[in-house]
Amino acid sequence: MTEITRRTALGAAIAIPAAAAMTRTAFAADPVEIDLFFPVPVQGKLADKMKELIDRFNGQQQAVKATAVYTGSYDDTSLKTRAAIKAGKPPGAVIMSANFVREYVINGDVDPFDPIIEKDGKTASDYFSLFWPALKPNAVIDGKVYGIPYQNSTPLMYYNVAAFQDAGLDPDKPPTTWAEWIEAAKKLTKPGGERWGIMFPGTYDYCGWLTSAFVMQNGGQYYNHDYGGEIYYNAPSTQGALAMVDTLVNKAKVMPPGVSDANACTGAFFAGRLGMMLLSTGSLSFVRDNMKQPYKVAFLPKSVRNAAPIGGASLLLPKGNSPERQAAAWTLINWLVSPEIAGEWSRFTGYFSPRKAAYDLPDMQKFMADHPDAKIALDQLKYAVPWFDTFNTVAVRKAMEDQVQAILSAKVTPADAVVAAQKAADDLLRPYVSETALKAVG
Amino acid sequence: MRARGRRLALIAASGAALIWAVPFAWMAVAALRPGVPPDIASLTPSGPFDLSNFREAWTSGSFPLWYLNTFAMCGGILAVQLVTVSMAGYAFARLQFPGRDWLFSAFLLQLLLIPPLLIVPNLATLVSLHLYDKLLGIMAPYFASAFGVFLMRQTFRSIPRDFEEAAMLDGAGIATLIRHVLLPLARPGLVAFAIVSLTAHWNEFLWPLMAVSSPRNQVLTVGLASFTSGQEAGSAWGVVAAGTVLVAAPLLLLFLAFQRRFVSSFVFSGIK
Repeated sequence: MTEITRRTALGAAIAIPAAAAMTRTAFAADPVEIDLFFPVPVQGKLADKMKELIDRFNGQQQAVKATAVYTGSYDDTSLKTRAAIKAGKPPGAVIMSANFVREYVINGDVDPFDPIIEKDGKTASDYFSLFWPALKPNAVIDGKVYGIPYQNSTPLMYYNVAAFQDAGLDPDKPPTTWAEWIEAAKKLTKPGGERWGIMFPGTYDYCGWLTSAFVMQNGGQYYNHDYGGEIYYNAPSTQGALAMVDTLVNKAKVMPPGVSDANACTGAFFAGRLGMMLLSTGSLSFVRDNMKQPYKVAFLPKSVRNAAPIGGASLLLPKGNSPERQAAAWTLINWLVSPEIAGEWSRFTGYFSPRKAAYDLPDMQKFMADHPDAKIALDQLKYAVPWFDTFNTVAVRKAMEDQVQAILSAKVTPADAVVAAQKAADDLLRPYVSETALKAVG
Repeated sequence: MRARGRRLALIAASGAALIWAVPFAWMAVAALRPGVPPDIASLTPSGPFDLSNFREAWTSGSFPLWYLNTFAMCGGILAVQLVTVSMAGYAFARLQFPGRDWLFSAFLLQLLLIPPLLIVPNLATLVSLHLYDKLLGIMAPYFASAFGVFLMRQTFRSIPRDFEEAAMLDGAGIATLIRHVLLPLARPGLVAFAIVSLTAHWNEFLWPLMAVSSPRNQVLTVGLASFTSGQEAGSAWGVVAAGTVLVAAPLLLLFLAFQRRFVSSFVFSGIK
């Protein structure tokens, strides 16, 4: 197998210059070479799959020769992209965590897609209507398209059917409201950690994502979806959401105290020691492959309303590329989000396809019929809400996450937590606010 | 009294060694367990055991290429460093020139800078030198090492001047002196530095990730991360552990093979 890998690599190394040489004589034009930075946010062999896709792209046309460059986590990818832009070597395109797009716009590190879309004779809003509308707030900023959605997810509730039956619950009627949810969790919980009712990851990123889900289920906005300088941490909807988390862990004691990560959740779930967990739809494939007991998935429970925040990644055009390289990147991006390829990537990863038309293809319809869990994940999209994005997104997000983690460890009350989080976030946002919203007044 | 002190020291050292060994033991155990066992955290599971994780890890990446690149990178850095740090160390230890101690302090200040701070300036330098996206580009910033210069300076200073004076009386020039007298005597220092340098660069992730994009120039750490980092889903720990074994194995074997010499070098050089 190694030999094959090495030989393939060698073969490619020889074949590519040879192909390039042939192209030169045949068409008198070299292919434009671009690189695509991509993170691997979901476990498994996605890196291999991505390389396979790019090889196929390179084989299907002669104008562009793309290279897939693996760039670590979402955070590493952003770091590398920024450093590369500053050093004058921007990649042709990047797959970037969708909630970083706004910051790239604020910092002027990214070019809009509008001119290049219009060159194809379409308006930007026509083009964006090809994607699920819930993806728009994180990609279209101030009327311009800065991100093309590539792989997306929302949180989803996974539950153990046997545990439901054991606790006298009906597996066909999962809880739909917070009250039912906590009630079911109480029935599912067995003392001494033998079985927990509920678990969800409280680690950075996941914590903020789920907190925003709870707040929006509780009727709140959580942050200003149109302006990166405002968050609503000290609000009744937020305090109520944190009180619900406090109840789960510290009052009803249906969730293990402290911060669990995604591995702890899936580990307990696979071992049958957990009734319900909240995890990304991006985990569907992983759970499907490893869960031995019967399980089902359901919408996130609601309080005032249903809400499931978007996650995942979009394709970006980093600043500093020549028009030729931008055109080449556009060719690649268009190919990657075409219904066939988008559908294939979705089936392979478990992410839902942002491209609506992917679901009209026979392969995808068969897949959805075979996998009712993926169907439920898709149906929940009608309640999708945008993903937290502000100036200095990660730090502002952490201001709340630190408080939620403190609640999970019973170190702070929800009422104090929202005040502390708001203050920390306001301090972080001040430089941007004083340059924008407050400057406009003075 | 003395014997009891030694026994206490032995117990303390064994305790520390045990704590240090636990993650390695877990890595070895987890790497041998197929699938995603629910008791993955266990150090003494009942099985089954097989090599499927290694097979999956090995086929998930281009390990031969990554090994080659990593050896070339670490070896290249070390080869240049051995020359630069011994020469600079000698200069700071023995030569008299104005501003020497001031310059040495300035040199040491460099140790205070956290490397991530220098990512963007270093990248810009690489681009202007046409070293961006090349293995040589990963190596270049490390060709000089403040820590190495410091270590070699101390090593040279600990060598009695009598040796040099005796050699000079016998008619040795400065080149002969360095090659036949000082460097052999400074070998413990060089070996100690080599270990620190090799481990640091073998394990480094961020800078190789920044400096290189082409898959053909990828090193082990970056390659390993490409199939082991799981953010939204849970990780397949067995594969992660197997990949980590593959990455760590060459260094571990090297240390086991030269254990005795390394330990004596560290004792000589005063790093413990």
